[in-house]
Amino acid sequence: MFDGSGLDRVVRTIGESRRRGGCPRPERGTRPNKLAIAVLLFGVLGPGGLLAQGTLFFLELQAVGAYSTAAKKIELFSLMPDDVMQKPSLGFDLVQRFSGKTRDIGVLAVQARLAYDQEGEHKLEPQLYNAYFRLKTKSVNIWAGHNRPALGLSSVLDSHALLLPAPAMLGFGFDRDWGIGIDRDAAWGGIAASLTAGSGMPLRLHGNYLAAARAFKGVLAQDNYSVGLSVAHGRVYTAMGYEPVMAEPVDRTAASLDATYLWRNLENRVEVLFGREDDAGLALAFWRAGLALLKEGRLKLEAQPAVWRRAGAWDYALGSGLTYLFNADLAGRFMVFHDSQRRGARLVVQLYYYKGL
Amino acid sequence: MSQDHRPEPVRPRGPGPKKALLLAAAGLAVFAAAVALYAAVGCDLNDPDRDVKRLFPESTGYKTLYVSIAKRGGEDLLRKIEARLGDAFKGLFETADVPYTMYEIHKGADVIGYIHGTNQKGTYGGLQVFLALDPDGVIRGFYFQKLTSRAAKAFRALAFGEQFRGLSLEDFYRYDVVTGQEDPPGPISRIKNPDPGSEADFRAALRATKKNLILVDEFLLGNAHIKFFKG
Repeated sequence: MFDGSGLDRVVRTIGESRRRGGCPRPERGTRPNKLAIAVLLFGVLGPGGLLAQGTLFFLELQAVGAYSTAAKKIELFSLMPDDVMQKPSLGFDLVQRFSGKTRDIGVLAVQARLAYDQEGEHKLEPQLYNAYFRLKTKSVNIWAGHNRPALGLSSVLDSHALLLPAPAMLGFGFDRDWGIGIDRDAAWGGIAASLTAGSGMPLRLHGNYLAAARAFKGVLAQDNYSVGLSVAHGRVYTAMGYEPVMAEPVDRTAASLDATYLWRNLENRVEVLFGREDDAGLALAFWRAGLALLKEGRLKLEAQPAVWRRAGAWDYALGSGLTYLFNADLAGRFMVFHDSQRRGARLVVQLYYYKGL
Repeated sequence: MSQDHRPEPVRPRGPGPKKALLLAAAGLAVFAAAVALYAAVGCDLNDPDRDVKRLFPESTGYKTLYVSIAKRGGEDLLRKIEARLGDAFKGLFETADVPYTMYEIHKGADVIGYIHGTNQKGTYGGLQVFLALDPDGVIRGFYFQKLTSRAAKAFRALAFGEQFRGLSLEDFYRYDVVTGQEDPPGPISRIKNPDPGSEADFRAALRATKKNLILVDEFLLGNAHIKFFKG
């Protein structure tokens, strides 16, 4: 049902340590115009949009709280204060389909949140996730805007609502990035390519870019498996949410193999990535295992180990999660997370409400 | 690649108090506006281009439509649909505001059929049954999109789906989704379960098919088959 965020968490490895080391706070990217989200929404949902049969609109509300055993306090964010996800927030998810007389033409997707930023100078943080138009042609789909780059598991894993961090949230790729992309599905799977800014949530243009491509075999929702091979090259910012960790972009080249396999009530997702970043080796091994229990899979147990190498150092993270669907609209989640960058563990609780209106 | 890395001036982090208020107001307004909105989600085709061409090779295009019981008639309509199904909607996948994505298939300016998928609880979570229908609501194609079952291979076999070809809601009205019986025995009774050990998934498939046909009849066919409903 649901999906995830940016390159943001790169910072958990590089960022946090460098900040502790007195690295000057780097420049900020362009935040989404604070009123643009609302204006865009109302523009799209004018009288025509409200009644059109091509409109999907979802309200999203979430409450998030975490107890840090290291800090010995309760914090109102899931992992890091500068991460965009997850924080207490009110948001929406809009899909507006455009059709001609006899065929679909394209889709506009806008997904945004107004989050409570406990550590921020100002407490309300506007967050823009999806903001793209996807043009449907007879042979391919072409998108432009803020969308997922064609790299790895994060390009297909919908973790927008989830607590467990996807690879992009560990800093390997971007959950969303500004740019353009193209994709085509085939009977055996599909291919996708994107050229994006390489700056994640904010749009920054200082010679930075990310070119990525992914081919996959198997359609998960039909074949119960999917295997993807991705390559990416660019000059990218390492950032946490809207805050870049480094003042300048760095060169990054990566190749990734990802796989998802569903068997009965078990699911497994893995990704292995190798590459170079800023003249240092880059590597990731990621595994998320899930077990669905109770009627309709209402209860889900997950475990997620990940180990990675960046800037000459190895790090790891261990996460376990529990999700219970109270009904079709309300989910409760609990996560225990520990990584090598922080002492102790985080116990995170989330109530997530997502309703079509 | 540009070497121009001029630092941007540091902007204040987050909106100022006035803008924050404005945003909060906008958020509330969005919420209020949203209450009046029409929306849906649903059981989408994984790859509509490919699936439409496979199910309707003669098609030249398709339109995606979103419908929901809540929007069309609310609880009253839900009760009527439950009566036609012969069972109550229940669980995560069956509520009035659950969402249905329907595909209207075109050949030139003509509508030559529809594709619709429904979710149904199976042994290992949800399964998705898609039907390709002609303009009169007669099944011309049946297949599982999502399916996790011990007998997945057998259910996905062409021979299983072929058994549904030519059937319509008129036939399925005689099938009781609760007892799994057809009265009197007819074409639904002749649909063979390929794996007796997966009776629950077999029945789930039949229930999903009947529900699917009812929803298409309600939303796309102007209740053309309601005359056959003896409820």
